[in-house]
Amino acid sequence: MASAVGEAVTAPSGRATVAWRGRPRGNPWRRPWVMEGFTWLYIIWSIVPIAIAVLFSFNKGASQATWQGFSTKWYIGNSVNSVLHNPSLHQAVIQTLNLAVLTTLITVPIGVGFAIGIDRWRSRTSTGLNFVMIFSFVIPELLLAVGLFLLVTQALTFIRLGTTAEVAGLVVWNISWPAIIVRARLVTIGRTYEEAATDLGASRLGAIRRVLIPLLMPAIFASAVLVFASTVDDFVIVEQLSSTAPTQPMSVLIYSNVHGGLSGPALNALATIMLFFSLVVAVVGFVAYRWMTRGERTKSSSAALTSIAGM
Amino acid sequence: MAGGNVKLESLTKQFDDVTAVDDISIEIQAGEFFSLLGPSGCGKTTTLRMVAGFEPPTSGKILLDGVDVGNWPPHRRNVNTVFQSYALFPFLTVAENVAFGMKYKSVPKSEINTQVAEALALVQLSGYEKRRPNQLSGGQQQRVALARALVLRPSVLLLDEPLGALDAKLRRTLQVELGALQKQVGITFMYVTHDQEEALTMSDRLAVMNRGRIAQLGTPDEVYNEPADAYVADFLGVSNLMDARVEPGGNGGGPCRVRLGDFVLEAAAGQLDATGAVKVAIRPERINLHPYEAGGANRVPGMVERLVFLGSTTQIFVRLATGSALQTLVRNDGAALPYSQGTPVSVGLPADSLRVLPDPGVSVAEIRDKTLGDQLLDLTSTTSS
Repeated sequence: MASAVGEAVTAPSGRATVAWRGRPRGNPWRRPWVMEGFTWLYIIWSIVPIAIAVLFSFNKGASQATWQGFSTKWYIGNSVNSVLHNPSLHQAVIQTLNLAVLTTLITVPIGVGFAIGIDRWRSRTSTGLNFVMIFSFVIPELLLAVGLFLLVTQALTFIRLGTTAEVAGLVVWNISWPAIIVRARLVTIGRTYEEAATDLGASRLGAIRRVLIPLLMPAIFASAVLVFASTVDDFVIVEQLSSTAPTQPMSVLIYSNVHGGLSGPALNALATIMLFFSLVVAVVGFVAYRWMTRGERTKSSSAALTSIAGM
Repeated sequence: MAGGNVKLESLTKQFDDVTAVDDISIEIQAGEFFSLLGPSGCGKTTTLRMVAGFEPPTSGKILLDGVDVGNWPPHRRNVNTVFQSYALFPFLTVAENVAFGMKYKSVPKSEINTQVAEALALVQLSGYEKRRPNQLSGGQQQRVALARALVLRPSVLLLDEPLGALDAKLRRTLQVELGALQKQVGITFMYVTHDQEEALTMSDRLAVMNRGRIAQLGTPDEVYNEPADAYVADFLGVSNLMDARVEPGGNGGGPCRVRLGDFVLEAAAGQLDATGAVKVAIRPERINLHPYEAGGANRVPGMVERLVFLGSTTQIFVRLATGSALQTLVRNDGAALPYSQGTPVSVGLPADSLRVLPDPGVSVAEIRDKTLGDQLLDLTSTTSS
């Protein structure tokens, strides 16, 4: 190696550019081993616990720690304590889906409206609202959950704990997703398309409906996927705002049973189902997003949005 | 469609404390190809956007066939725009893009397809109906944008640097097509560009803009050959500007006698009754070079500084004995040029091509700075103009 370095130094100036040969650390194009290794460690660290939890949902025995062979009894087989046959377990699955669908349907239109309002009708109000959107990313979820709990139980008592309060809380917590993602898309789209639409005869609202909304569809869809997935995963808010057993989604049920009560691989099965929903939604979202933006694959705008949406 | 007369009366637009358009008055005749020419930031695009309805004027009137439309929203004005970025809707096919505005024109359904086909035929894109904008080249997208606007038969078509995003060769082809198309459809075209070649080749008349005002308005021939001031002379093509003083004593109605350093020349064009400090301008193609020894009237000794081969011509940069730098064009007719760097020459500045312009109170270098920005971006087209 020393001779290689020495040769490069004494070589005519035309060859000085290859001086890194024989000096791996001096080569700017070398593989980033350290960063790559670190990334893999991170991936393993985050996937292994999940993989183990999923694995034990298929355990033949009742243990969550000792593998006793493969079985689907905790999903459908066991007539007492499987997700299919235990009413509190499958009720939780239904409630989770119920909350996710309702929250998504309410959050996304409001969030899109906020985004358009903030970006297209600039005023003092829209500046303030923009701040609130970022604010909800910063405040602790527990703080919001406890606040909402007090609000619902002390002041707004007509909203009763249970599905209504849960949906209201989840909408407030998730509204930033569509607002921020759609707004990012609005910024990259610019105003020219709307101007072109009004120039061709569309009214202000007509331009939004016929041009802006179709252009925003990928962002709207991406944010719907995120809201849905985040609602399926949510625990803090629903834990505070749920009341009787039928209004408890999977996350709350798993939490309240994990140390005693109804335990065993049936809970792993429940968690696996939760994971499955999130994954399905993410995959559907990714495929649909790619399909919707197929016309703009070469543009940098979609790359920017893709990175924001994490897809 | 009949009509298409545009009249701007004292039109002004201010953004906060910046005056983008400053008291502009223009009348554009129906069926005219009118260009607004100027460097970026001169207010030409803002003027166009006010006519389109995207910006409300701060003051002044926009009369469209005699009706003040200044405060109408864009969709109520019978004008259409071709955007620099084309703004084709990416989620619609070419045919759907062209048909977009028909929905608001109460055109019967059966009629829509016929008219879309006609519009696409007009821009030579028949057969592309089912494609999406991203499957088209830049030039084709530009044609779709044109068809989408023309199909609505506006009384005025506004074009905001429509060829700006295309390469030089395609731009030149489309310039010719666009000019022919305008004559064919007879619609008033209001065309915004920073490219003097585009403005000169296509327009019936043009307005050269500077700092929100109109520096000169006239036919391409007038504006090119009889620039009103040093700014217009420099912006329209390469022009040689020099500082000079008018010799005292008057000219008695004949050519103006101007002093450049130690030399007194006759100038027979421009403002011949000017006195004191002036600028004199001469187009590169009007300058002739002679052997150094050859004397004669209106000749100044100089030295060749640089030769640039441009293909059909060679550009020669000459430094005069007065210190001024000039450039001149010599046709390449096959014979070797008798000049090289350092050759002393006698530079002939014919009196009828030497134009006296009022002194704007700024140096030649300052004028050049202002007009050069865009021309540098556009070097490919200026070198051959």
